[in-house]
Amino acid sequence: MTPERLEAKRDLLISVLDTLIPADEEFPESGALALDHVLAIAGASAEAGSLLARALEAIEAAAAGGEARGFAGSSVTQREELLRRVERSHPAAFEALVRHTYDGFYSHPATIARLGLEPGPVQPRGHRIEPAALPDLARVAARGPIFRRA
Amino acid sequence: MATDGRIDVLVIGAGASGAAVAWRLAGAGIGVVCLEQGDWVDARAYPHWRADWELHRHTDWSAEPNVRRLPQDYPVNDQASVISPLMYNAVGGSTIHWSAHFPRFRPSDFRVKSLDGVADDWPIDYAMLEPYFDLNDRTMGVAGITGDPAYPPKSPRQTPPIPLDTLGLTIAGGFERLGWHWWPSDSAILTRDYDGRRACVNCGPCDLGCPIGAKASTDITYWPKALAAGARLVTRARVREITLGPDGRADGVIYYDREGRERAQKARAVVLAANGIGTPRLLLNSRSARFPDGLANRSGLVGRNLMFHPYAMARGVFERPLGGHRGPIGCSIISQEFYETDLSRGFVRGYSFQVARGLSPIASANGGSVGDRVPWGREHRRAYGERFDRTITVAIIGEDLPEPDNRVDLDPALTDGHGIPAPRVSYRLSENSRRMLDHGIARAREVLHAAGAREVAANPLLRAGGWHLMGTARMGRDPATSVVDAEGRCHDVPNLYIVDGSVMVTSAGVNPTSTIQAVALHVADGMIRRRS
Ligand SMILES: Cc1cc2nc3c(=O)[nH]c(=O)nc-3n(C[C@H](O)[C@H](O)[C@H](O)COP(=O)(O)OP(=O)(O)OC[C@H]3O[C@@H](n4cnc5c(N)ncnc54)[C@H](O)[C@@H]3O)c2cc1C
Ligand code: SF4
Repeated sequence: MTPERLEAKRDLLISVLDTLIPADEEFPESGALALDHVLAIAGASAEAGSLLARALEAIEAAAAGGEARGFAGSSVTQREELLRRVERSHPAAFEALVRHTYDGFYSHPATIARLGLEPGPVQPRGHRIEPAALPDLARVAARGPIFRRA
Repeated sequence: MATDGRIDVLVIGAGASGAAVAWRLAGAGIGVVCLEQGDWVDARAYPHWRADWELHRHTDWSAEPNVRRLPQDYPVNDQASVISPLMYNAVGGSTIHWSAHFPRFRPSDFRVKSLDGVADDWPIDYAMLEPYFDLNDRTMGVAGITGDPAYPPKSPRQTPPIPLDTLGLTIAGGFERLGWHWWPSDSAILTRDYDGRRACVNCGPCDLGCPIGAKASTDITYWPKALAAGARLVTRARVREITLGPDGRADGVIYYDREGRERAQKARAVVLAANGIGTPRLLLNSRSARFPDGLANRSGLVGRNLMFHPYAMARGVFERPLGGHRGPIGCSIISQEFYETDLSRGFVRGYSFQVARGLSPIASANGGSVGDRVPWGREHRRAYGERFDRTITVAIIGEDLPEPDNRVDLDPALTDGHGIPAPRVSYRLSENSRRMLDHGIARAREVLHAAGAREVAANPLLRAGGWHLMGTARMGRDPATSVVDAEGRCHDVPNLYIVDGSVMVTSAGVNPTSTIQAVALHVADGMIRRRS
């Protein structure tokens, strides 16, 4: 499956991503944030693209065999059960799907901000560490040499 | 084939050891040319300047050459190894990627046979290396604090220690409660401006390089000084083999230049600094009628006794945020409570604990070095929230004893981009190492719980942990049981020197680079002395 065909299954992909990382009250962003990253990876690497495509095809096939409403129309429990079946039947493809979803989701500026970090490059800003006194090293030092002289 | 005029000394590899040796020799007025297969890394090219910096850790900025697959990399067949070798090929070598945790070997590490009846003693010792440790510290710039009872007294550190921050203070509390040794790590990272370099701004991912030069990679420490002293550095120059003159001495190398042209460089002496895998590879690729099994390999030991330091990881989860994204990723606290041999523990020799900082957002999801991915689905949010910024990872660095069957040889089929045979690595974990790591995991659980962790997960052996490449051209007095002598000279080829991690006789239970560089400076001084 080419990236274009993956793109054509966009709706399915979005509901899969949202099932992998569902939104909740505290964290309204969901897995669909990873969509652009997952599509970009599929376009950049033939190997990743074919693994992702295999995962999606397996999900699609499993959904077609079950509920008439398809994946998106199923309940969360049904979707999770279906994904667990695909995880068992296509472990490598599913692993790639989860990895790239997590990569995309946890590098997205909206997620980073929600985690309480400042989105964007870590340079040049760096991070401020509040100055604090070193703990007293006297107890450790008082043990005297703990190395063997040779 | 184009042949460059004869020079005094040719250094192969511009990493930790090659840079140090080139600087020392050039400073003594010796004509030095270094050939390096990689390029200079442009400070603007580091991923830290991009919002998606963390994504690069597993792609173009991976420490694994087999993942990165850049033109300057060579592949390594590691299928027969439980640990994958990591390295970087550039001016600065693997110090581009290193975490700059900078402990020295201890005096007993050079007397392993005499003290514990295993492996071999080194033909040099701590006292001989001490002036070189100090010289190297001054050139690299070390943050730390003197007074650690685990070492003989050290010279003043160049800058104060890296701040422990909430994470470091939390785990220090655990060590204090148990009454165990711990100390703020010596780190080759500046906490104040020093020697024209800037202080660290605590951005975090030093393992992807340091774009501001606070971390001591040798492209910004030794190399500017070496070039100013007259050394010449040729980049994108990949050495294929070392050539021999009719007298059986090394007379230069054949290499591929930036345009892929084959060239010869003649030299009066050759210094190998291509690391614990690149060096045996090159020697084994340099066969001749005189050395049918590889250059300087009459002992049959070239490539053998590969040591990595097997790493186990223990990760505690705490109730409160620890600020682990702040500060240099690999540098906080070291503990050497279980360093020296105590046979009642069930193994010989010992290990250190190296406490790392916290996991970044993607690493938190994928389990970091423990590898236990946060589950997907409705459980995901809760599980991720419990983990993110609430973990401390304790690395157990076990001393790896030399074993002949752990080795580097040449792969019969695999080659690099120039068609040069690639290395193949075979490595098994010994029983002694297994027991040592198990002991370390149990003690790491104790200290994490003592620090307040509510749960601890462990990885019994980190596969992607081959940071330290040692032992594959060991040093010794006897030509039958070693490749180089006490001054880094090959027993079989007296004007061929080795200065990288290959010469390590044993691995100790700490990160090796401070010691690798001290040995390189010691070898350089021997060359200077002999010349005068
Ligand atoms: C991710 C990472 C983290 C690390 N963290 C630490 C740490 O915290 N503390 C520590 O002490 N150590 C650490 N290390 C290890 C440290 O980087 C190495 O011990 C050190 O760099 C080894 O020095 P070297 O001179 O032996 O080899 P290198 O620094 O690897 O240099 C070898 C050079 O030789 C060049 N070369 C090889 N073959 C050829 C050829 N045929 N022709 C031309 N050039 C060639 C390579 O391109 C390379 O630049 C880490 C390493 C990595 C990868
Ligand atoms: S944490 Fe400090 S040493 Fe590490 S990359 Fe950032 S600025 Fe450089």
